Order: sequence, then C-alpha cells, then structure tokens
Amino acid sequence: MTATVRLVPVQAAYDDLLKRSLSKISCDLARLIYLASTRDYNTGSYHHDGLAARFRPEIAGKALEIAHRQIFYQLSACSLEELVEQLQTYLDCSHESAADILRIWQKLEPYRVAIPVEVNPAVARLFVSNIRLALAIWRFRQEQAQKNP
Amino acid sequence: MIGIPTAVLLGSVLFLLLLLLATRGSAAAREISSRLDVPLLDDEAGLDPCPPEFVARIFAPDDWEFVRGTKSRELQKLFRRERRLVALVWVHQTSTAIRRIMREHTEITRQSHDLRFSTETKLVLLYGELMVICGMLFLAIQSAGPQRVRGLAVYADTLSQRLAQAQHDFKTVTARPELHGAGSV
Repeated sequence: MTATVRLVPVQAAYDDLLKRSLSKISCDLARLIYLASTRDYNTGSYHHDGLAARFRPEIAGKALEIAHRQIFYQLSACSLEELVEQLQTYLDCSHESAADILRIWQKLEPYRVAIPVEVNPAVARLFVSNIRLALAIWRFRQEQAQKNP
Repeated sequence: MIGIPTAVLLGSVLFLLLLLLATRGSAAAREISSRLDVPLLDDEAGLDPCPPEFVARIFAPDDWEFVRGTKSRELQKLFRRERRLVALVWVHQTSTAIRRIMREHTEITRQSHDLRFSTETKLVLLYGELMVICGMLFLAIQSAGPQRVRGLAVYADTLSQRLAQAQHDFKTVTARPELHGAGSV
C-alpha cells in the first residue's frame, strides 16, 4: 500500500473531526484540552468512538494525534496577549467558576497533560511557561477589577 | 604594529577563550536544565526540531512589552524568569543538536575515502562559531535577558540549520558516490 493511499483516509478522518467536533469548540485552548482528553494516559494512543466507527480505530487515532499536535503548535506560537484572550474565552465558556478553574490550574498545572508526545522540548517549555504567565495576568486583571470597580 | 606570530598567538588564545566560554556555557546550561520541569534529552534526534518561528517567539520583545504594560512588578519578574529559562532550554537544545551533527559527521568521515579539505575546514569552523555563539548566548541571556539577544539567536538558528543541511548533503553524497561534489558548505 502506498503512502498516498494510507494518508487519504487519515485526511478524511481529520476533516471529519474538524467539521463535526473541533469547529463546535469555542477556542484553540479548549480544543487542545479536548484532544488531549482523547489520549489514553497509559498507552498514549487516541480514542474517539464516533470517529472510529466512521473510519477505523487506528485511522481515527492518527487523525486525533495530528490534530492534537497541530493545535498545540498553533497555541504555542500565540503571543502572550492572544493566549490571555484564549484563556478568557475558555473560562467564559466553561460551566465552572472561573476563580475555581484558575485556582486549580495554578496549583496542579493540569495543562501539562495536554502536551503531545515527542514535541520539541523548547516549544513544550514555552507552552507551559506562557500558560503560567497567562494565568498570572488573568488573575492580576481580576484583582485590579475588584480594586477599581 | 604587531608581528604575524604575535597575531597568530593572540588569535589562538582568543579562540581558546571563546571555546572555554562555549564549554562553560553549555555545562552551566546543563546544570540549569536539571532544575527545569520539562526534561531535556541528550539525544533529541527523534524529536521535532524547533521551528524558526518559535525561536523568534521565544526572543521576541512584544510579549515583554505586553507584560510591561500591566505595570506589575511581580508579573514582570515572573516573565523575565520564565522567558529566560525557555531561552536557556533552546540554547541547550541547539548546542546538543550541533554536537550530535558533528558526532555523526565524524563517524561518516572515518569511513569515507573521498574527503575534501575545504569542506571539512568550513564545517569545523562553522561548528566552532556555533559553539562560541551558544556560549555567548547563554551568558547574555542570563545577564541581559533573551529580548536583547534576539538577532544573535536567530543567526545561531540559521547557522545550525546550515550545518544540519551541510551534514545531510555530505551524508547523501557519501551514501551515493555518483553524486560526488554535491556536499559543499
């Protein structure tokens, strides 16, 4: 089987994933969290029942992996200002309290789990660092808003 | 006016000093990397290379301007610390990649019967220049911050890509002798 023939179903699964799932998610940060949640903690392989039913599980897994890496690199390339906006959108669309999310994110740093496997270490460090900074900036803005309503 | 032997001696001493600087910088970068929370590997051959746009992002001044706009000293301090560490990770990663490329090159040249002196000299000089730049970057990032050395970092990235490309070309030519002469730096 040639590489082109193998890539076509992955591309189709990827397009399907974009159209049916990712386009309905509010921002790239939320997309990254969603895609990371489809990855098995133990094996690192990706699972999505709907996508696996329409395509094959390994094709679905590959499409999820590609999408995960793509969103990760996209977010890591954002300026700090853009990332704070992403965080704002993510918090606005969440059903939980923004203050609670902020507290947990700053304490446990769960966004570290959202880093794909085998990405460049400097980019991974930049991502973690930028999220940490975005959280601190968001918190600072909230405190300022409370001080000067 | 100084004579040629004195100039050669001074040049050699300067070169040795710069090499020492590069080695010290790399060793200290390793020590700092041990305190980081993202593991650094000595052999990152299987990992994605750092795309050039991220090098520009790490050393870009606009994020600093944004943080400075908050007028919060704490945020500014946090930013400086965080970005400095990211920049050091990048320098460490670049110098590791350069050393790996040269190790590979040495292995290939040992088996090759068709070495070109000029190509080899250019490669060694490029390697030396890169290691010195990495040492300088390491010190400058620590003392002045990454935003001040953006130009040098981008230059080092371009040079390291050139070295990788030259090594790749050399490998291709060595593997296929009929392409003789395509491996110049």
